[in-house]
Amino acid sequence: MGRVSRRGAAGLLVGLMSLTAALSGCGAGDSADGPVTLRFVWWGNEDRAKVTRAAVDEFQKRNPDIKVETEYSGYDAYFQKLSTQVAGGAGPDLLQLDRATVGEYAGRNVLADLGEYAGKDLKIDKIPPNLLEGGKVDGKQYAVAGGATTQMLIFVPSHFEAAGVKVPTAPGEKWTWAQFAEAMGKVGAAGQVAGTTDFGWAIDWFEVWLHQHGKSLYTPEGKLGFTADELAEYWEMIGTMRAGKGVSPAEVTTKMDGSVQNSGIVTKQSASEIGYDSGVTGYFGAFGTDLKVAPLPSDAAESGMAAMPPVSFAVSQRSKNKEAAVKLLDFLVNDPEAGKLLGASRGVPPNEEIRAQVCATAEGGSKAVCDYEAAQKDKIGPAFGAWPTGSSAIKRDFQRTYDDVIFNRVSVADAAKRVIQDAEKSLGS
Amino acid sequence: MTQSVLAGTSGTSRPEVADSPPLATAPRGRKRRGQGVAYLFLSPWIIGATLLTIGPMAASLYLSFTDYDLFSPPNWIGVENYVTMFTGDERFWHAAWVTTKYVLISVPLKLGLALAVAMLLNRPRMGVGLYRSAFYAPSLLGASVSVALAWRALFSTDGTVDKVLASVGVDTGGWVDQPQYALLTLVALAAWQFGAPMVIFLAGLKQVPKELYEAAAIDGAGPARRFLSVTLPMLSPVILFNLVLETIHAFQAFTGAFVVSSGRGGPSDSTLLYPLYLYQRGFTDFRMGYASAMAWVLLAVVAILTALVFRSARRWVFYAGEDR
Amino acid sequence: MSTSLASTGKVVWPRKVVWHVLVLGVLLVLLYPVIWLVSTSFKPATEVISTLALLPREPTGNNYAEVFDGVGEFGVLHYFWNSLMISAGAVVGNVVSCSLAAYAFGRLHFRGRGPMFGFMMITIMLPQHVVLIPQYVIFQQMDMVNTFWPLILPKFLATDAFFIFLMVQFIRTLPRELDEAATLDGCGPVGVFRHVILPLLRPALITTAIFTFIWTWNDFFSQLIYLNDPEKFTLPLALQLFIDQATQSAFGPMFAMSVLALLPIGLFFLAFQRFLVDGVATSGIKG
Repeated sequence: MGRVSRRGAAGLLVGLMSLTAALSGCGAGDSADGPVTLRFVWWGNEDRAKVTRAAVDEFQKRNPDIKVETEYSGYDAYFQKLSTQVAGGAGPDLLQLDRATVGEYAGRNVLADLGEYAGKDLKIDKIPPNLLEGGKVDGKQYAVAGGATTQMLIFVPSHFEAAGVKVPTAPGEKWTWAQFAEAMGKVGAAGQVAGTTDFGWAIDWFEVWLHQHGKSLYTPEGKLGFTADELAEYWEMIGTMRAGKGVSPAEVTTKMDGSVQNSGIVTKQSASEIGYDSGVTGYFGAFGTDLKVAPLPSDAAESGMAAMPPVSFAVSQRSKNKEAAVKLLDFLVNDPEAGKLLGASRGVPPNEEIRAQVCATAEGGSKAVCDYEAAQKDKIGPAFGAWPTGSSAIKRDFQRTYDDVIFNRVSVADAAKRVIQDAEKSLGS
Repeated sequence: MTQSVLAGTSGTSRPEVADSPPLATAPRGRKRRGQGVAYLFLSPWIIGATLLTIGPMAASLYLSFTDYDLFSPPNWIGVENYVTMFTGDERFWHAAWVTTKYVLISVPLKLGLALAVAMLLNRPRMGVGLYRSAFYAPSLLGASVSVALAWRALFSTDGTVDKVLASVGVDTGGWVDQPQYALLTLVALAAWQFGAPMVIFLAGLKQVPKELYEAAAIDGAGPARRFLSVTLPMLSPVILFNLVLETIHAFQAFTGAFVVSSGRGGPSDSTLLYPLYLYQRGFTDFRMGYASAMAWVLLAVVAILTALVFRSARRWVFYAGEDR
Repeated sequence: MSTSLASTGKVVWPRKVVWHVLVLGVLLVLLYPVIWLVSTSFKPATEVISTLALLPREPTGNNYAEVFDGVGEFGVLHYFWNSLMISAGAVVGNVVSCSLAAYAFGRLHFRGRGPMFGFMMITIMLPQHVVLIPQYVIFQQMDMVNTFWPLILPKFLATDAFFIFLMVQFIRTLPRELDEAATLDGCGPVGVFRHVILPLLRPALITTAIFTFIWTWNDFFSQLIYLNDPEKFTLPLALQLFIDQATQSAFGPMFAMSVLALLPIGLFFLAFQRFLVDGVATSGIKG
């Protein structure tokens, strides 16, 4: 099957494509000596770009023989362009990925195994092991966290005060799902907004719930780690909250994509929202600073929350200058000067020493994140691994099916079964 | 396919048979020189097609028979993509249905609006140039995040449309967020940006000789009669153009659906236009082979439809420049 | 419909008023989203996303100030200039190459015309996303990635079949007697093209120019794929630098810049749309 037997113009052209993909690496110059040019790409806003470029400038100053070309764009645009470049054989040397895409890219042999550099050119001893776990696929370190983040509930305190509900924010305080549901119901009943944005759409929060029950989304072998019954139970639980305005109505929920512009809080449809704490500065900018952060509820001893990389850095398998790229990666995550420049632009810094240094001077949204991370430090549990290939499709199908649930187009039980079926197809491919 | 398109283009002479010998006899000498000139005029297009179009099209056709994940070499799998599409992919059929609805509603609406406004503006009145530009303004916007946000302000719950409807006693809730209405917001977006066909209609209306209207008026034809017997026939080549192009365009509608639904085609897949699904398959699911197969199915459908329109055009399109 | 004929004297003036009121009424509805967009660009950051209201509660010019402070490493004018260069190049390319091809398809007889026309139509029908990567490979082979060439060169090679088809349709509405007269005067195909077709084609050429300019100006996708260096960024590319899903987004300045980006194409349209009107003059030739 593997042998391509068809010839002709089309075959030749595709052959040409793969050939150029194989031959033309990226950047210029030799890996041995002489000046080397690296291409480093990321997605993000203007602020992230400014500080990243400053850090890159500092790196070039210290390494005059390495020239770094930077490219950046918005999230969707970034992945569209990255796929095209990599497919066309013109991929960058150092790239930024997120949770779902680390697995997708590593599984398709786009990323270099960083294991051989670890401990040498790439220092990882100051990065917590649970963060490093997020960059591992099949036990190999393909990516290194560019920041750290944790699940959180962000809320508008005034709505909760008006409803006479206390949210556990102090270190050590926690709440159960029942308390959580009751609190949200009260807020929903008291005000014009729902207690919390319906969180059933994102597979990320289901993952937390699974961890609280000793399960996981994917097994270490990359198979599905949950059953239709478990998903149905989870969705049923949220369903009971929907009736009393504990969670937002379908029309609000369907817009959710994790972005600030569609957020239930920001559009004033709900009093709280589950998210990653790396998004706090975004909420502060679009909504205002009158927001607080609390941990997710749990019925178990486990909080189910984990330290996760909001973004990871990886080196291209086809890069001709892997060593230089690794050097830049190491600089970005470990150098104190770089840490100072980058601040919390990709969540709090992954390197614990640098995190302490950045958090000491943080203010506004970054301070809220630092405080929350510090308060929850003991509760942040064991690592979640990287997601396998096919997980992007699974994440999307999960949300699509949940849409059908909230618009009452399918029963929860049938929806859960469909998620499993679709997911198995996606993982099989 | 080519035959019927051809029938639409060449009014007068049949094309020579493709495999006729290049050598021509003396009487054809003049014609051959004419042919040389024709190829000269066409040379940029021929170079462009050879260099930039044929190769990529052939490549995508080849890839449609492979399992290609963008990053690894493609794997020949025969017609499997096509078989899966037709027999094992509910979302494919769903996307096809959504697109059919979208095309059927948005194309007539957009063309109707464009023609109505073009006729309204086709008169020498004060400020008509400004008005024309104002009507074109929505089309200047394209589809960006700003437009998506404007659409949300218009069509979400408590948005402008909801409030206006509520004030006259119709309570539909927000349109963008409900599966049964969401597609209509995309139709509205497409119809709202009717500037391009409007300009083409205007340019076409300018070409209609005034004398024909005067003659019709003398014959006692009212406005409706003049529209039917002068405007429509004289405008028919332009109508054909707009109909064909807007239909093709509607089948390929992507950006609007992408920005309004944040790339997902929601709520509940109600705005999952075919090109959006194709994009998801190719770039989110890393199944470019499958996406290529989808593209060729779309191409076949659109090509057949276009051919049918061209064929029917022989009956309703009137060319001043052709022998009648 | 055509009220211009009814200038017989008695109720001419109210009719004009009715027309203006009608046009303005339709316009008001259609332009409401545009007005919303402009008004939003004057909202402070916390109002931009969180309210749907038409008018800002506390109007501010800060968004515009922020845009003029610079986006990326460059001033906003830098991106305007890049967009302008690309759009202007595309206009010249399309007007020249498409009119040449359209004349051949519309008027000349040559072998392979039918199949070639059919193929041209087919090139409009294939979704862009599946030819993207092969095309990218070609431009990369020609070492043109990260230059303006992939955005301009195709226009000079008449790859926008839309405009060829547009002009073919126009050419076919022109009476053939004109060609024949010119041929009798000793004009060859080139002469007919220059002296008969081109002047009459002017409305279609203007249409092509306007559409090419505006569509190239707004063409985010190709510019995204082919331009890497922020120095070469265009307006649409600079616009998306304001937004990021995960971190803080500057929606206010984004709206301000969307409005600013509209101005040049709006003015371009305003300036050139009157040449569409001038097309009227050509109809005098017929008859």
